[in-house]
Amino acid sequence: MKKEQSRKYRVLQILRIATQAGFFGLFVYLFSVSHYTGHDYIGRTVERFFHFDPLIALTTFFASREFFVSLALAGVTILLTIIVGRVVCGWVCPLGAVHQFFSFVFKKARFLRPKKEEKASISWKYAILVLVLVSAVFTLDIVGLFDPLSLLYRSFAIGIFPALARISSGLISLLYSLRINSAAQAISQFMDNMMLNATFRQGFLIILIASGLVALNAWKERFWCRYLCPLGALLGVVSRLNVFKLRVDEAKCIKCGLCTTHCETQAVPYPNDKWRSAECVYCETCAAICPTAAITFPVKAKPEKITTVDLSRRKLILTTALGAIAAPFFRITPARKRASLFLIRPPGALSEEKFLQKCVKCGECMKACPTNALQPALSEAGPEGIWTPVLVPKIGYCEYYCSLCTQVCPTGAIKELKIEAKTQIKIGSAWIRKDRCIPYALGRPCIVCEEHCPTSPKAIKFVMIETKLFDGTTATQKAPVIDNALCIGCGICENKCPVVDEPAIYVTSVGEQRSDRNRLLLPE
Amino acid sequence: MNRRDFMKSAALAGLYLKIGPAFVEGRTAPDLAQVQGEDPAAATREAVAALGGMKAFVSRGDKVIVKPNIGWDRVPEMAACTNPQVVRALVEMSFDAGAKDVIVMDNTTNQAKRCYVRSGIQDAADQAGAKVLFVDEHRLKKVPLKGEWLKEWEVFQDFLEADKLINVPIAKVHSLCRLTLSMKNWLGAIGGARNQLHQKLDQGIVDLQAFFKPSLTVLDAYRILVRNGPQGGRPSDTQLTKTVLAGVDAVAVDALGASFFDVKPQELLYLRLAQERGLGTFELEKLRIEKRTV
Repeated sequence: MKKEQSRKYRVLQILRIATQAGFFGLFVYLFSVSHYTGHDYIGRTVERFFHFDPLIALTTFFASREFFVSLALAGVTILLTIIVGRVVCGWVCPLGAVHQFFSFVFKKARFLRPKKEEKASISWKYAILVLVLVSAVFTLDIVGLFDPLSLLYRSFAIGIFPALARISSGLISLLYSLRINSAAQAISQFMDNMMLNATFRQGFLIILIASGLVALNAWKERFWCRYLCPLGALLGVVSRLNVFKLRVDEAKCIKCGLCTTHCETQAVPYPNDKWRSAECVYCETCAAICPTAAITFPVKAKPEKITTVDLSRRKLILTTALGAIAAPFFRITPARKRASLFLIRPPGALSEEKFLQKCVKCGECMKACPTNALQPALSEAGPEGIWTPVLVPKIGYCEYYCSLCTQVCPTGAIKELKIEAKTQIKIGSAWIRKDRCIPYALGRPCIVCEEHCPTSPKAIKFVMIETKLFDGTTATQKAPVIDNALCIGCGICENKCPVVDEPAIYVTSVGEQRSDRNRLLLPE
Repeated sequence: MNRRDFMKSAALAGLYLKIGPAFVEGRTAPDLAQVQGEDPAAATREAVAALGGMKAFVSRGDKVIVKPNIGWDRVPEMAACTNPQVVRALVEMSFDAGAKDVIVMDNTTNQAKRCYVRSGIQDAADQAGAKVLFVDEHRLKKVPLKGEWLKEWEVFQDFLEADKLINVPIAKVHSLCRLTLSMKNWLGAIGGARNQLHQKLDQGIVDLQAFFKPSLTVLDAYRILVRNGPQGGRPSDTQLTKTVLAGVDAVAVDALGASFFDVKPQELLYLRLAQERGLGTFELEKLRIEKRTV
């Protein structure tokens, strides 16, 4: 028998790789332009990938009982998947591209040796999908932990690109030390224009998770896509019609098993009747690798029989139950009872309950923030608020004339605001620690906080005070006092306070106007 | 001869060399120029011309830094940063005088790019052909300032490498040192924990001025900030005075600048310290001030 690979599917495979590279490039590009570009408004394009994500659309809709218009675009993905199957996973998804790339590398490097017959259960991702959807119905939105786009963006924003920024900083130092000043200056100015935030709490953890998921590809090809991705599971469930049906030409087939061994997503191309259409991402690998060109994907409009989703009734009931009780589990926390001291949310953030129902923990806002102020939460907002954005004035402050975080939020957890409206929003209140403040405690001049206060008139005023010093003398100094009614809680005072370790002026969430209960002063 | 006397006579000799030729021709450049006009750029040009033209300060092939105040994320109408047209005029004049390179930079307080863009200075200086650079932390170097208070501090090396420095600040109120005029602008040429300088700000200002020794000081008083300094926030915090001041003696420039706020020079501690230090004089009555209108 003549041994010859299919030319057509080789071409399709290359086309698929090019498409993946294109979408990955687009994702990185949109990521890289999501910052202050010199314009007050940067448009709604930068977060567009998320709007095509039906998992995010469904869970935020279920959890918040509100529909965010931009997420209607997710319908396109659903429609496409119903008709042609999971091409989005194989051809479009940027996280899929990452995993496939590393699977390829690991295979070439012989870290990954695919088994001839893979028996591992592919049902986990369906369990995760059920968990995420059911808990959303019970108003708990944990999609951000598992959604592939959130995962990728967060990994980029909080882990990988900050690391790159630090590498470039090292490179600049090296170039200067070698007296290659023009190159060093060019890179430095470029980086300043890119405005990559390089300081993140949990940055190490986030990068560890991302590396771990990539490393799993050395064990099983596209491990994340096969076993964990709830979006892939959702698309698998809806890919009923997928008109391109895999067909093995029995006359040509030499039963070598290459196709099944190298199937990226364990979709079992051979034997033909075992093919799981819901797992197939149309990467075209099997058809291209087949030594006798026995595999094709002819058009056949007959719907699939519903045996492809491998989730037993037992598991389905169990995960549904888990999803139903997840909400109370996540909410055994004082964060629900009382506003948390340092839970300062970005301006435009909805009231805490609504915010948590919509935030998908993607990190778009943290990427766009010009001062690196927005950081992933750890415990401030309770377990369900992990990796949601909090403003940490010690790291950065809310830039007065900036509303970028409100513009890039893909789900409306942070309401989009015009600059003028944003400057009016109070996100917290500043307080003075007189026992640490230089004029109050040490009798020396300072009032750096007053100088930096951005409102007009300033929320920080100064008064003349007398400080008794250690030697019995008295110093008279200007010292800061706060007009809470004018303070917007931007945190620049805390950020710039020369008492570096524990600033003598600091911001807490109280007085934030998004909350009915965390208010402070009633109007006089 | 002690160090201070030596510096004084050296400065005098330098001053003579600079204005000597003009003196021979029978006209001396005034100590200060004060030009009023509708157009900030034209007023700037006229002020420098009154001092003998940019060629008196910039030589052919010089690497010049024009140092505006770009400290705040504020548009020109807020008068928190130097007027971009004033900066542009100085860049153009420097090139006309034969400068090889003109760099415009400042260590900002708010996020750098936002300040550069929204102040209008990035565009204006860029159009005039200047290299508009963000300060680069990698270029910070701890150098001996030899000040009365500041013995050493981290300075951006760009300022050490430049042949000529032109200081172009904006006149504003400041709650700690009362007014921020030209000399305080040097806080933007240094790095490190600048916020600690507030503990003895007036002395710090003088030490920095003594260290940087600009060739020319141009004070933008086109729109000055009279309230809520040093960043204002509302157009009503500003006052349109439509004037540009220039001089070699920064102490004198600041003394004249103070008059726009009805503040007597003696009331500003840093001016008294600067005069004691021999950096210049705030006794305006002893100076020749050329006033023009364009």
